[in-house]
Amino acid sequence: MKRVTQSLAIKSIPLMLIAMLAGCSGDDGNPGNPGEPGGPPASEINSLDITVNEVLFDSGVATVNYRITNEADEPVVGIPSATYIAAQLLPQGYTNAGNASEWQYFTAESCSSSCDGEFVDHKNGKYSYTFSGPFDGMNDITYIDGATQRVVIKVGGDSLPDGTALPITNQYLDWQDEGSEPAYTRDILDIQSCNTCHDDLAFHGPAGKGKYNEVQACVTCHNLAKVSNPGNVFAPMVHTKHLTGFPVSLADCQTCHAPDEELAQNMNWARVPTMEACGSCHTNIDFPAGQGHPTQVDNSSCVACHNPDWTINAHSQEATDAVLGHFKAEIVSAELNGDTVNFAVRLSNPATNEVYSSSADKLNFINDLRVYANWGISVDYTTRSAKSIKLQDATPISGSNGVYHYRIAGLTLSADPATDKGALALQGKLCNDNAMLVDCAETDSTTIIKSSHQFFSATAVTDLGRRVVVTNETCGSCHGDQQLNYHGSRNDLEQQCQLCHNPNMLADASATNPGASTADYKHLAHTLHAGSRESYPNINYPGKIGNCAQCHTTDAAGVLTAALPLNKAVQPLAFSDGTFTSATSAICSDCHLSDTAISHMTQQGGVFKGTEADATAGTESCATCHGQGATVDVLKVHPIQ
Amino acid sequence: MFAIHKNIKTGQRLSVLALAISAGISPALADGYGLQNANRGKADTSKWECKRCTSESGFKGSIGIGAAYNDASDIHFGNTTGTDTDGAVGHLEADLINKSESGYETSFTANKLGYDTGSAKVETGMPGHYQIALGYRGLANYDTNAALTPYLNSGDDLYLPSNWQTGAITSQMPSLFDDINYVELKSQRDLFLLDAQYKGTFYQADINYQHEKREGKRVFSGNFLTNSAMLAEAIDDTTDEFGAKIYFNGKGWLAGIDSSFSQYKNDHNSLTWQNAFSPTFGAAYTGQSAVSPDNKAYRIGANAQLSGNGHQILVHMGLASFTQDEAFLPATINGPSPALPVTNLDGKVDTTDMKLKYTGRVIRGLSVRASYDYSDRDNKTARNPYPQVITDSYYAGTAINPEYDRTKQQAKLGAKYRFSRAIYLDSGYQYDHNDFSDLDRDSLQQNSLFARLSYSISPAWSTWIKADFSDRTGSAYNAVSTTNSPSNPYLRKSYLADRKRQEYQLSVSYSPTSPFSASANVRISQDDYDDTLVGLTKVDAQGYDISANYMFSDELSINAYLNQDWRDSDQAGSSNFSLPNWYANTDEKSTLVGAGIDYIHLLDKKLDLGFDYTYSDGQSDTEITQGLTSPYGDYFAEKHNINAFATYQLGEQMALRFDWIFEHYKDSDWLNQGLTVDSIPNVLIFGDLSHDYNAHYLGLTFSYQL
Repeated sequence: MKRVTQSLAIKSIPLMLIAMLAGCSGDDGNPGNPGEPGGPPASEINSLDITVNEVLFDSGVATVNYRITNEADEPVVGIPSATYIAAQLLPQGYTNAGNASEWQYFTAESCSSSCDGEFVDHKNGKYSYTFSGPFDGMNDITYIDGATQRVVIKVGGDSLPDGTALPITNQYLDWQDEGSEPAYTRDILDIQSCNTCHDDLAFHGPAGKGKYNEVQACVTCHNLAKVSNPGNVFAPMVHTKHLTGFPVSLADCQTCHAPDEELAQNMNWARVPTMEACGSCHTNIDFPAGQGHPTQVDNSSCVACHNPDWTINAHSQEATDAVLGHFKAEIVSAELNGDTVNFAVRLSNPATNEVYSSSADKLNFINDLRVYANWGISVDYTTRSAKSIKLQDATPISGSNGVYHYRIAGLTLSADPATDKGALALQGKLCNDNAMLVDCAETDSTTIIKSSHQFFSATAVTDLGRRVVVTNETCGSCHGDQQLNYHGSRNDLEQQCQLCHNPNMLADASATNPGASTADYKHLAHTLHAGSRESYPNINYPGKIGNCAQCHTTDAAGVLTAALPLNKAVQPLAFSDGTFTSATSAICSDCHLSDTAISHMTQQGGVFKGTEADATAGTESCATCHGQGATVDVLKVHPIQ
Repeated sequence: MFAIHKNIKTGQRLSVLALAISAGISPALADGYGLQNANRGKADTSKWECKRCTSESGFKGSIGIGAAYNDASDIHFGNTTGTDTDGAVGHLEADLINKSESGYETSFTANKLGYDTGSAKVETGMPGHYQIALGYRGLANYDTNAALTPYLNSGDDLYLPSNWQTGAITSQMPSLFDDINYVELKSQRDLFLLDAQYKGTFYQADINYQHEKREGKRVFSGNFLTNSAMLAEAIDDTTDEFGAKIYFNGKGWLAGIDSSFSQYKNDHNSLTWQNAFSPTFGAAYTGQSAVSPDNKAYRIGANAQLSGNGHQILVHMGLASFTQDEAFLPATINGPSPALPVTNLDGKVDTTDMKLKYTGRVIRGLSVRASYDYSDRDNKTARNPYPQVITDSYYAGTAINPEYDRTKQQAKLGAKYRFSRAIYLDSGYQYDHNDFSDLDRDSLQQNSLFARLSYSISPAWSTWIKADFSDRTGSAYNAVSTTNSPSNPYLRKSYLADRKRQEYQLSVSYSPTSPFSASANVRISQDDYDDTLVGLTKVDAQGYDISANYMFSDELSINAYLNQDWRDSDQAGSSNFSLPNWYANTDEKSTLVGAGIDYIHLLDKKLDLGFDYTYSDGQSDTEITQGLTSPYGDYFAEKHNINAFATYQLGEQMALRFDWIFEHYKDSDWLNQGLTVDSIPNVLIFGDLSHDYNAHYLGLTFSYQL
């Protein structure tokens, strides 16, 4: 009995079946129908595009027909190897009330010099693979009519006979044997969500050669039918692996389960709570034993209490966003008067578009609202001790109707204050009860506001100020949108940290890796993420550490800010013994600190632990070769994506 | 004038039609060709008198005493026999009447008195002038005696044995199987009635009083968050109803008012039960639930009817008021209860209903009718924010009591045209308009049309065919936002959804003057909820009836009937709060087969025999499809019943009657089929409540004719 599984293929059924039979019989050596020409074969391959056309059934044995092209839609002929995985999906609630949908692994079969099943290269970019036997019974799993089935095809990691390298590519088709579209799916998230932080996630193979790089492939094996340890089922496994060292609050499920309307089950994190999914983070709970949570022996009752609203409220930024939607603090004017900055703050409610007419010290929902000031952007700030004022405790000098004036005195001025600039940074905490702002006397719950900064010149606020190297957005690709709070409530990683974490910070003169001993922002950020700081020994950088673009933004001309030469404001690295390392060498040696690298930099004019005069004399010739557009441009030699 | 079934509900609904009939005037339902429209002016009614119907005075009738063996090992059999006494049971039968020469009459009747469903009545008076009746009637419903529970009843409390140890789940309750006992779920109603009526020359007055006492036990679900226990809630309540009416009538008119007052009293103030589970949160060791509150209802209605020259007008107006002011229980008994806004609901709902109806014959062969109905429910209860303590466990904010006001209006137009003596066409149009508050739709409208063609093919053969169409739509559908979690935006509740309905019926009957007669009826209907994406989408129903009767002789007759109905319902659901992704199909089927034989005047007219057999079978099969199809389990009830009797005349005055009832009954519901009390971890259930029995009833009744 032959069953056609994809109605898309209805018109071509007879031909396909004939072709299949010819392909399957295998003993007369006839090539069968030649099939339509596939066009000229691919001449260059940067990426592979696999189109899985259909899965056909003959006596329960599946044949998958697919086509492989390059990025220009030219057929790729002569693929030397492939792996085929088949799995079946049980619908949500099928195994028991409340249970999530569940993949069941049938088989993984490979073809290279030999084949588990039958492989046909139709020599026009089209391929067929017939599995070694019926799915039903494979891996002791019963094939269920009408169930959603998945076939995964993995190719690449090797080369065509002519030596053209093939990139590793995973493709899949969800299908069912009754009707054209699967009646149900498990489309929860896409690998893109992982790759915002992980660059190019791939597993099972040597580093950089992992065979599986799509979530849709991972889940076909990481399920109860295949793995012996339930902890290796995909969802619990992934949750558990992120429990330590996660660069942002684990409480926000949407960090990974990012909203995506294309994915039908995208909201399952809130809609299908199970002890397997929830318990993989809440590891102190033993549900059946009733430890850490009232006893629950199965998933049937979870949603009775943990309904989607509850879960969204507890595990997303929704409540925080709602609170912050009622508060906005802005520095609306600023000017320098001697060593004092006079500035005005405006507090408003964006939700109602109304100003808070009282000053911060009179608003009972403000737990903390501080402004920091530093001066001297031309030299990356004049001091590491930015002055500050707590607005919730300060009586404004003047002001009314929502705009109030304050001053911060004692700034350290730079050589020519009239042409220089400074920065004000604002941070704070608000008292809330769920989504509402409430009197701090009535709650213990606070919400940290998104810190902000405002540049100013001697006379007014200005848009342009210190160079922008990293942004809250680039940091946020792993750390969430201003969700990484240091020193309580500082989260403007783009410009606030630098008010103190600037070149006035000193490196330990005796340190092996000086960059890892200073809190100057650039060195701090490089060494911290490279895992070379003593205070962060367990950093396990999730992406490629050499992908500068993960953190660095681009400038107005579209050039990545990691490019050389450096901005003129970048200062040399200062040591506790009064010595200095020239700026570029100091930065490069944050990561490249082998003797060879140091001697290379020294030969090219770099100054290590010299006098300040030498370190700033401009002897570094790094940009000659490593500058933007040069032969070994740092932007080319790093694995930048 | 002895209405048994009146209670708080039906009493309010007592229709003007029934009143009109009771007042001794021709039926108001008639449509122009009824007897009341006949030209009786020239008729010589003296010829209609029954010459042989001379009423005999004196004392006569029969009295009987019976004893029976009843197998009530499963009390469900009691629904057939009227008693759940297992073993020997006795009863009294009486049908006595004493008439005086003056026309004064006193009667006493008793039927199965001594059984739970027995009845008795004493009536005295002058029929047609005045009459007083005193009566009793028992009603009973037997569900099961196989429910298992560890709970014991005492007053308002359901408590567990003193050594009970709680468990997080049912299988962890250590003494559960030692502590369970059988509990009977049944209810018994005793109705006592008093009725007096007086009929004057142009008026009639009637007063009646009814006291109903109900006792028994029924299922209640006691919940604590995700844990639940099935409990046998005690029923002990009474309903008193007093009614009075007076009607005046003259030639071509009738007018009157009727009123009633009823009062419901529950002997229980609350239901409290001990938590069999380890509390999920805090100290939820006991739960408390409100029970049906004491309440009162008043109703007054006025009716008038005018007829003449083939025209008839009927006017009705009724006002009713329902009140209850039972003191509130605290919002929770586990920990301090949040303050309630008021101490009792002080609930008041007023209803108004009106009807205006005209029927008349316009020309020969054509009669028309038109009517307008109005009914309004106005909830006058104050709206307040009530604290919500979810299943006695945690506070979840407040909720305001919704009003659920409703105004229904209905207009009907109809006409009936007789083409010939044999053929007539009846057709009508109906418009329904409903306004609601607190529902997903503010209003619903429905247009309906029907036509029925009747054809008397021959004196023996007659047939009719009927078609009905209706189309329901309404205002914008906005899912209510007053519920805790919002509805799926694609959900259309079936009672508010747009619907197209069509129904067809064909009936044929054969009733010649010969011994054989038969009739058959076929029906088909379809409901399409074509704007519904999530919810009930389609209901198809078909059915037929066939019945036949054959009289071999005056002594021997047989009858048989067969009835089958099918209903197929489709619904679509969504597990991800969006478009449908699962579908349910429910196929229901019912079959009723019966055959009977009566053979009388045997053995020199001393022996009468009767034998009836009925078979009924109802089943419902549900399948859920989400790619994969998962059928639900068994849900059916099947019954074979034999009811046979033999009466033997022992002499002029004495007779012996033998009754045999046999029943094979089997039912099952997958909800509890094959389950034990601890089968569901978070629900303490009664166990398997399926029935499967063969039971006999053997009765012998001796009667004496006075």
